[in-house]
Amino acid sequence: MRSVRLFARGFNYSQDGPGNRLVYHLCGCNMRCPWCANPEGLDPDREGADVREVPVPALLEEIRSCAPMFYDGGGVTFTGGEATMQLDALCEIAAALQKDGIGVAVETNATHPRLPALFPYLQLLIADLKHPDSETLARFTGVRGETVYENLRRAAQAGVPLLVRIPAVHGFNDGKEDAALIAAFLRELNALRPAGAERIRAELLPYHEYGRDKWEKLGLPYRVTDGFVAPERIRALEDTLREAGVSVIHT
Amino acid sequence: MLTASIMTDMAKALFREEREIKRLDGWFLVKESYMKHEAETAGMSEVRRAAVLLRHAVEELPLSISRNAVFAGTQRDAFARSYALINPSFRVETFSGYCDPSAVYGDIEPNEEFPPERIAAVKAHDAGSEYVRLLSETYRNADRDTAEVAYFIEQVTGHVIPDLRFLLKYGAEGVLARIGEAEKKPLDGAQREQYAAMRITVDALLCLAGRYAALAEKQLRTASDEADRERLGEMVRILNKVPRRGAETLPEAIQSFLLAWQLMCLEQAPNPFAFSVGNADRIFEPYRAAGDLSREETAALFKHFLVFFNVADRSWAISQNVIVGGRDTEGRDLTNPTTYALLDAYYDMNLPQPILSVKLHRNTPAALYEEMGRFFFTPGCLTPSLFNDDSLFEVLARAGIGREDLPDYSIAGCQEPLIMGRDSGNTTNSWLNLGKILELTLNGGRSLVTGAVLDPEQTQKAPLERLKTLREDFYENVEKYVRRMTEAANGASEALSHLPVPFLSVLMGGLESGYDVRDVRHQGTKYNGSGCLIHGLAVAADSFVAVDHLLKERPEDAGTLLDALRCDFEGYDELRAYLRACPKYGENQAEPDREAAEVAGRVADIVRAARNYLGNPFRPDFSTPSTHLLYGYWVGALPDGRRSREMLNYGIDPLAGDAHEGMGFRILSAWKLPYEKMCGGCASHLGIDPRYFREKEYPALGREFAHKVVTPLFFNEKNPNLAPFYLYVNVTTPEILRKVLADPAKYAPNGVYIMRIHGTFVNFLDLSPAIQQDIIRRLDPASASIAG
Repeated sequence: MRSVRLFARGFNYSQDGPGNRLVYHLCGCNMRCPWCANPEGLDPDREGADVREVPVPALLEEIRSCAPMFYDGGGVTFTGGEATMQLDALCEIAAALQKDGIGVAVETNATHPRLPALFPYLQLLIADLKHPDSETLARFTGVRGETVYENLRRAAQAGVPLLVRIPAVHGFNDGKEDAALIAAFLRELNALRPAGAERIRAELLPYHEYGRDKWEKLGLPYRVTDGFVAPERIRALEDTLREAGVSVIHT
Repeated sequence: MLTASIMTDMAKALFREEREIKRLDGWFLVKESYMKHEAETAGMSEVRRAAVLLRHAVEELPLSISRNAVFAGTQRDAFARSYALINPSFRVETFSGYCDPSAVYGDIEPNEEFPPERIAAVKAHDAGSEYVRLLSETYRNADRDTAEVAYFIEQVTGHVIPDLRFLLKYGAEGVLARIGEAEKKPLDGAQREQYAAMRITVDALLCLAGRYAALAEKQLRTASDEADRERLGEMVRILNKVPRRGAETLPEAIQSFLLAWQLMCLEQAPNPFAFSVGNADRIFEPYRAAGDLSREETAALFKHFLVFFNVADRSWAISQNVIVGGRDTEGRDLTNPTTYALLDAYYDMNLPQPILSVKLHRNTPAALYEEMGRFFFTPGCLTPSLFNDDSLFEVLARAGIGREDLPDYSIAGCQEPLIMGRDSGNTTNSWLNLGKILELTLNGGRSLVTGAVLDPEQTQKAPLERLKTLREDFYENVEKYVRRMTEAANGASEALSHLPVPFLSVLMGGLESGYDVRDVRHQGTKYNGSGCLIHGLAVAADSFVAVDHLLKERPEDAGTLLDALRCDFEGYDELRAYLRACPKYGENQAEPDREAAEVAGRVADIVRAARNYLGNPFRPDFSTPSTHLLYGYWVGALPDGRRSREMLNYGIDPLAGDAHEGMGFRILSAWKLPYEKMCGGCASHLGIDPRYFREKEYPALGREFAHKVVTPLFFNEKNPNLAPFYLYVNVTTPEILRKVLADPAKYAPNGVYIMRIHGTFVNFLDLSPAIQQDIIRRLDPASASIAG
């Protein structure tokens, strides 16, 4: 029997998918983004990690017991850490919940080569496009981007409802050239959509430091020194995306 | 009529004047007047004596009318400066579980006018009364149980909702006519005396109005200012009309109401706490409509109405509740223009009292939620308690309330639902401490706090056996303590019956029944019961779950657990961490939620099976108005990992800090409790971070609040059970409150920063430090998080 390792759960309203949602944070991540807001989820084997291991049937039962709270088209969202670090369990859960009529969203960095296996079961795929240049992505996060870009293209082609999230971090991806590259990539994704599928939506997540205390509590160095992006710069980045035909949203 | 703007300025000035008052001596003058005239009442029945003495007090009390007053009347002479919650010198550790009826005399600071001998004389006279004798005897008989608050009992004064609609409409003349008709029917001796006494108190009401009219007339004669003359002239006209005759306009109705309220409170001086107004918008709307007053004019008049409920420097008239909104038996909404005018008055004045409650139901108009947005999202602003009519109608119907009376339920004091003018609920008559009973059960009757043997009848058992039989022993003990508690509570009611209240009885069905509200032999009101506030639901349930886990996973540690409890977990860190990690109520986990529902249901059944002095059931009320703090101080360590003297959980909520995964889970757990058994009420609080809401404008924020909080909790179509019916919220964070305390001049420049604390709201800056810290701790933002 498969299990899932979690480090947090809670409800939110329309932040990680439509309606009121139960959000599970799954343990482990293959990236090491220095601005990560949930560093406690990076390494489940860390000493003192607050990890709950739940067999898949028990987790499904828990989710079903929460179904009355999935109002306004809500459901479950799996995020992390990186949810696809536990891809097989995730596929099993998403398939079962689809049968129950419970909508599933997954928020991912899109680096897993078998990510498309999830697509048939998803109400929404929330995928990061942290940087459109693979070298830069690898330099900041430790992981190259080719698989990310390929997964996003396949999601676009498959017509999966797709929200692309771009963490806007000063010195990483807030330059004009970055914006142009991101816009071009999103334009490409839109062009791949099957007829009748909704346009790709994108959301900029301005850099914040809600996770800084957690890094310090974990005894990990917080290395970002100047990650904030000015609001006017955020607006300019959004304008660039809109000009490329991208639907920019704020959740 | 003065303009709305001028009336508003006057109301604010009137409140400022009131806050300058540091002494409350009127209640003492009332008591002194009673003493002075007692000899004349020799041989009279108690009820007639009460009426005659009240009449004398009204004749003698010094009266005044402020230059800023639109209405005559005050509650100042009915209250003492004695309410612990807002007494800055109050300390949790000073709570003794005993209610000394003479202690109030210690609240008067002697001065030249009130030297110690004068105070001592009245106190000594009071101490000789049958009421004090019986009450003291009742407390003495229960003192072993109340010493560390296994339960607490008190005589219930105030705490009902009079129905003034008949008096407003037909005036004192109408009331006297009703008494006259009743007196023509065959009556027993008690009824004859009651009607005679009620007649005397109605005369006292007219005397009060007459004295105010004469005073206003006198001031009118010397008034030089035109606006002043207009104000006083109108006051004289109104006072010469009401309450003698029926009111026809809103100013007349409010004036009539306030004078009746003043007399009703004087009759119960110095303890008329928690008298409540009832469905205020429905009471006053016919009068507003008759004069076709605008919303602004109506609000201006109600601003003066609201100031009346604030007494002296700390608004000592605590827990007087005004309720608006709601539905009828067919589900039709009953909000009206007065509802919104009252809300305007509340918002603009932002006073520490009276408490505001709002009734909601599935068909509550969006406009009402929009109007409430400003209350929830303005820092330091009062917020209403929220009641779910759809659910409460069913709870009350199952408890025996007639369908025709359901829309007239209202809130007495904090959260207790009673029928306006027909229900004597003795709401705070008894207080049960499940935490203490569990502690005594675990330790063979010995207190872990003081080491005293409080219950020598308990059987001693080996540790493993003790834990294995814990549940059945606990419930057996609950039955035993409830038996003793209700006996003592009935004793307190019996004692109080020697202080009859004929004027209140006029407003509570006495005109029909001919019996006093406090009569313990005949039922004076249509409905009657006695309340029991049940403490420690979650800590008891979580303790049972932890014991189950221990017995299953490490039964060899049964003795260690009992040792650890005796040591308050000193040196047992590992075991405590294990117990803390066991599943807890409030996170939608089947095991603890089922246990909490079981504890609530079984304890409610035990309480409900107990009978009061008239043979009516006690009413289970899962509310803990700051007493979770006071009673927790007397409870030793428990198996849920809670340490000795720490607070118990609040109302039906999880223990603060135990549920940290957000509001969604809190709501799902809360749904599973048996609300149909909580006919005495229940209490629940959410401290919500304002950052969870995205809208910018108050009306939209009100809708968002309804959508994210109210509808999921109260009106979720998928909830298979009877939905919760009570909630209060504070939309703020601990950080904000710490800033307010650190720099009140910056965050509350006028000295008032209103916060909700259980059923009432208070000026946060007036509270004792222990209560301030309790509010901060119970905000418990993780437990009400909306962000996953």
